[in-house]
Amino acid sequence: MSLEKEIHFRVNGNLTSVEVPVTMNALAMIRDRLKLTGTKRGCEEGECGSCTILVDGVSVNACLMFAVDCDGRDLTTIEGIRTAEGLSPLQKLFVEEWAVQCGFCTPGMVMQGTYLLSQNREMSVEDIKRGIEGNLCRCTGYKKVIAAIAGALHATPRRGEEKEDS
Amino acid sequence: MTIEQYAAPETLDELTRLLSGGNALIFAGGTDVMPQTRAGARQFQPYLINASRVAGLRGISREGARIRIGALTTVTDILESNLLSEHVPVLVEAADCFASGQVRNTATLGGNLCNASPAADLAIPLLLVDAELELSSNDNGAPSRRVVPISDFFVAPGKTVLKPTEILTRVIFDAPPSGFRARFIKFGTRPALDIAVVSVGVAGATANMVFAITRVAFGAAAPTPIRGKKTEELLEGRLLVDDTILAASSAAQKDVSPISDVRGSAWYRRELVRTLTERALHDVA
Amino acid sequence: MTVIEKQTLIGKAIPKLDGPKKVTGEARYVQDIELPRMLFAKILRSSRVHARIVRIDTSAARKLPGVHAVITAADTPGVPLGHGKDNPPLKSDKVRSLRDEVAAVAAESEDIAERALSLIEVDYEDLPAVFDPNAALLDDAPVIHESHPDNIPFTYEYSQGDVGQGERDSDVVIEDKFTLHFVTHCCMGVSGAVAQFDADDNLTVYSQTQVPFLYKKDIAPIIDVPPEKIRVIQPSIGGGFGSKLDIYPFEPICILLARATRRPVKLTFTREEEFLASPTRQPVELTLRSGVKKDGTLTFRDVATVHDNGAYTSWGATTPFVIMQTISSLYRVPHCSYRTTVVYTNNPYSGSFRGFGNLQATFAVESHMDKLAEAVAMDPLAFRLQNAQQPGETTPQGMVFRSCGLAECLTTAAERSGFVEKHARYSRYGRGQNGQGGPVKRGVGIASLLHVGGGAKIYRSDGCGTMLKIDDYGHVTVLTGASEIGQGSETVIAQFVAEELGLPISSISVVNDDSELTPWDVGVHASRTTFIAGNSAQRAARKAREKLLAAAATKLELSAEELDLREGNVTRADTGEALLELPRLIRSLHFAKKSEVVMTAEYYEPPSVPQDKEFKGDVSASYAFGTQVVELEVDTETGVIRIVKVTAAHDVGRVINSLGIQGQIEGGVAMGMGYAISEHLLVDEGVIQNPCFRDYKLVTAPEMPEIDMHFIETLDPEGPSGAKGVGEAPAICIAAAVVNAVYNATGTRFDSLPLTPERVLRRLKNHA
Ligand SMILES: Cc1cc2nc3c(=O)[nH]c(=O)nc-3n(C[C@H](O)[C@H](O)[C@H](O)COP(=O)(O)OP(=O)(O)OC[C@H]3O[C@@H](n4cnc5c(N)ncnc54)[C@H](O)[C@@H]3O)c2cc1C
Ligand code: FES
Ligand code: FES
Repeated sequence: MSLEKEIHFRVNGNLTSVEVPVTMNALAMIRDRLKLTGTKRGCEEGECGSCTILVDGVSVNACLMFAVDCDGRDLTTIEGIRTAEGLSPLQKLFVEEWAVQCGFCTPGMVMQGTYLLSQNREMSVEDIKRGIEGNLCRCTGYKKVIAAIAGALHATPRRGEEKEDS
Repeated sequence: MTIEQYAAPETLDELTRLLSGGNALIFAGGTDVMPQTRAGARQFQPYLINASRVAGLRGISREGARIRIGALTTVTDILESNLLSEHVPVLVEAADCFASGQVRNTATLGGNLCNASPAADLAIPLLLVDAELELSSNDNGAPSRRVVPISDFFVAPGKTVLKPTEILTRVIFDAPPSGFRARFIKFGTRPALDIAVVSVGVAGATANMVFAITRVAFGAAAPTPIRGKKTEELLEGRLLVDDTILAASSAAQKDVSPISDVRGSAWYRRELVRTLTERALHDVA
Repeated sequence: MTVIEKQTLIGKAIPKLDGPKKVTGEARYVQDIELPRMLFAKILRSSRVHARIVRIDTSAARKLPGVHAVITAADTPGVPLGHGKDNPPLKSDKVRSLRDEVAAVAAESEDIAERALSLIEVDYEDLPAVFDPNAALLDDAPVIHESHPDNIPFTYEYSQGDVGQGERDSDVVIEDKFTLHFVTHCCMGVSGAVAQFDADDNLTVYSQTQVPFLYKKDIAPIIDVPPEKIRVIQPSIGGGFGSKLDIYPFEPICILLARATRRPVKLTFTREEEFLASPTRQPVELTLRSGVKKDGTLTFRDVATVHDNGAYTSWGATTPFVIMQTISSLYRVPHCSYRTTVVYTNNPYSGSFRGFGNLQATFAVESHMDKLAEAVAMDPLAFRLQNAQQPGETTPQGMVFRSCGLAECLTTAAERSGFVEKHARYSRYGRGQNGQGGPVKRGVGIASLLHVGGGAKIYRSDGCGTMLKIDDYGHVTVLTGASEIGQGSETVIAQFVAEELGLPISSISVVNDDSELTPWDVGVHASRTTFIAGNSAQRAARKAREKLLAAAATKLELSAEELDLREGNVTRADTGEALLELPRLIRSLHFAKKSEVVMTAEYYEPPSVPQDKEFKGDVSASYAFGTQVVELEVDTETGVIRIVKVTAAHDVGRVINSLGIQGQIEGGVAMGMGYAISEHLLVDEGVIQNPCFRDYKLVTAPEMPEIDMHFIETLDPEGPSGAKGVGEAPAICIAAAVVNAVYNATGTRFDSLPLTPERVLRRLKNHA
């Protein structure tokens, strides 16, 4: 048995503590321990992006991260994106644009898209394509995923330029 | 191997003490260590040390003529650094064709160099600027440091001169003089998310109104990232005219000793070394 | 007076119904299923490519704490599975490929199961192996299955007309050999299953199958459970593309372990295992002789193919059915002959994969179309148009093209892409005549396709059932036999139903994932779901509509013809005046004297017929056509091909959901591109060299070219609202268009795939 370690962190806003083997990756912890199965296991080698989560607001492959390294951090998984008010604007666009087919890559795409949008930067279509270069999709040919992210980019006023009358 | 202790030290002193037994496996971003250990390609040690929390090792700064990059600096940090795009855009180019956004957000400079893959992308631009690597350890209770030129750092695939008790703390180099121009080309069919089949870097500076190449480096073309000494010799002080470029790209093929694997045959890698060297030289000429 | 305008949902951009649960991570895939007391299974696979199993010792594994069962062939009924019934779920006498299943474990955790595997001892006695199908045909070749000493499980022969005559009629005859490689599905969700027996010995399988009803029948003898005691639940499926059409050993193994332990058992692959042990697209060597007259008329085609079947027979062996169609009927060819030998080797075995043999056939046929055009000095477009099939045609193979947009696809794709002008211009540059400077050359290539678009009658029935009920709030539940694997069938089915019943799409729920509830269907394959399940759902809805209108007519004292259903109301057909809310009508039926519920059922059987013994017959109720023009750049110093633009014109019958159909084309283009230029499962002496995404290169977002899509609406007379199936079509002809474009750019013609950089450079530099 591998050495275990108790860690404390926030996940989707909630304080959590778990005991995990020190060799475990964050993906296994999230899926198998926290039962947050929205985060997908597509390769466990960092190559597919299905496991993308945000750690302190930054997108990472959960499968490449040591679970113990979550200690003290703030994690967001796909389960934390939908708010009480409903789907996030990006999620809505994923649905409306048919950026989803089998849906297996979708949580990772939504997470990476959410991260890109949080960067508060103008992005060209080329930038968006580069932005999701680490997310493989076998179904959609990416076009509609790109369209959804581009749509959200132009729908959300960027920080610092919110409309004055709102 | 049973792991006896896990630690995530917050100071360099603590970290080097933990390493002093010489029985630790450290990780920073973990993007190499995690998949390698899972696949059984790398063994755990009695100590598992998370180096990512050590204070003061992340960041890019300039002190006088020296640029210092902490070992925990991520590839994204490099990609987004104004200081680096101003002074060493070639390092930013290499960061731009590195893995994917998610991996870049996690992967560290120190990890990239210490993992010592022959294809390590960041090694190539650092070879071009004669970077020096600061290695720290704890010598019987006293902090100790040594500096190794990057061209001496790599020993073999996955092997460096780092001792088991040492850690890479900083990468330091002189801000290149004005008139410095460099180019990095990583061969692949994609902008990133690709391990280099071959990569090539060239750099030069203007002396006496003449731009000449001073450094050439290759990735994935030998057991370690290497300087292209024969190519450098050929180009030394010479004007980059077509004939010279052609001769240099042939010389480049003599500098390399590529292997054949699933990503490319030795023949193909040699072809690429020639073509990419030629293209890189044209780009900076 | 409220007036409701007539609206239609057909052709609209209706969002995918299961989108919300997929964008929130709520959708549950097999990997996400967890049942109380569930155990985890792992499979021990062969470490040899071809060997006799001398001894298996599982005693140490059994003793490991946390292990609940270890099974070998001795614990199974020994009934083989797969299309060829030559593949026992666990091997007893010998192993024939590296993926062969030798033993399996169920344990408290995956880790324990893994450790148990390492404790199983197997002694092998190596046998000579064979990896090249041509070598496997030699007299002294190692025998892979004793039942087939010649290593030939199947042969196919087809002919029409008289090839000898065709040859005599020809002014030009050319012959080439084309070699197609191994690729694999790479569904993002890896393979897996969860199986559970209840106290009454009823089996529930959470399965990824694309064919839930045939699955029950096929798997029953292998696990020795009567089909009527099997319930198949299909959680969200992380990609199918044909890979889940057959039963593969892991599924019966999972079930057998559940029975051995009397506990729920879950078995999921790792990504590496997915590469090593899932089906592939079948590698084919195809020799093609074609003839043409000086005036550009095709005269004959003579084709011989050798298929590497791998060690066992799955659907890959039956792809000749589709290959033949393209050879005989994509263009008009009077004389045709076709022979296939399917050969056992010790390689991985192939299953069905989107396009089902057609990528390989189209690659060869459309390469030759370009060569023939050049031989008679015609441009590739004019040559194709001259020989293109027309509506109303019955081909010599017996296919009836009740609708056919091939000529329109050709002209649309060519015009929109500027094909003719570019083709002429680039070919001058590429051959170094007019100096297109620099090492990067541009080219355009064109290719077309024919594929079944209305199912394929490979079984006695090619039908699909629908049951439909409307509740007293006007909400419709559609139970369909058609499975959803990401293609959006549930949304299209809901559209058909909503359209007939004049309801918003939000009033429709589609149930398609539980064999206990849903009526029979043949499965998702042959691009049949929109067509067959769509027709079935449309007809069930029509019955409900008639019932509702008849009841409304009685109530309103009008005739049914004067009424319509719009936006949840009964209205006047002519003025649109709203007369009665639908829920009220339904409730009044419940409380009427002769009370009634609105519930209908339909079983749609397409008018297609099975092929006869000579492989002739109108096997599909409709046929889909398409043309794609690829524009690309070839870096002649590195071998890198960059696809710049794909112009796609597809005969889709009728667009039902504009976004859904675009998604099928875009995804198909990406998959076809991968087949053409980047994906290559490297198999060396039976060993897969690149079982990971790092080295098996799927197309990523930055590589996606511009796609210019055009839909040719030929309104198929049998299709639901005129639609045809297009699920497979978009992936089929890209590879052919790519090689044609590379020839246009460089003057070098490739007869094998993929065009990965090193393979391209070797060829351009004539380096062996
Ligand atoms: C999907 C994927 C794509 C990739 N693409 C690329 C690519 O394009 N180009 C490329 O070059 N690499 C690539 N890599 C490899 C990897 O991401 C890089 O090498 C990365 O920089 C490693 O950094 P890390 O912090 O994650 O290292 P870790 O995994 O934490 O460590 C790597 C090695 O360095 C040691 N180490 C780490 N920090 C220190 C230190 N400060 N002092 C001493 N030893 C230390 C560790 O002990 C270990 O041996 C890729 C990896 C993945 C999974
Ligand atoms: S599962 Fe983490 S990148 Fe594929
Ligand atoms: S939607 Fe299926 S993998 Fe992306």
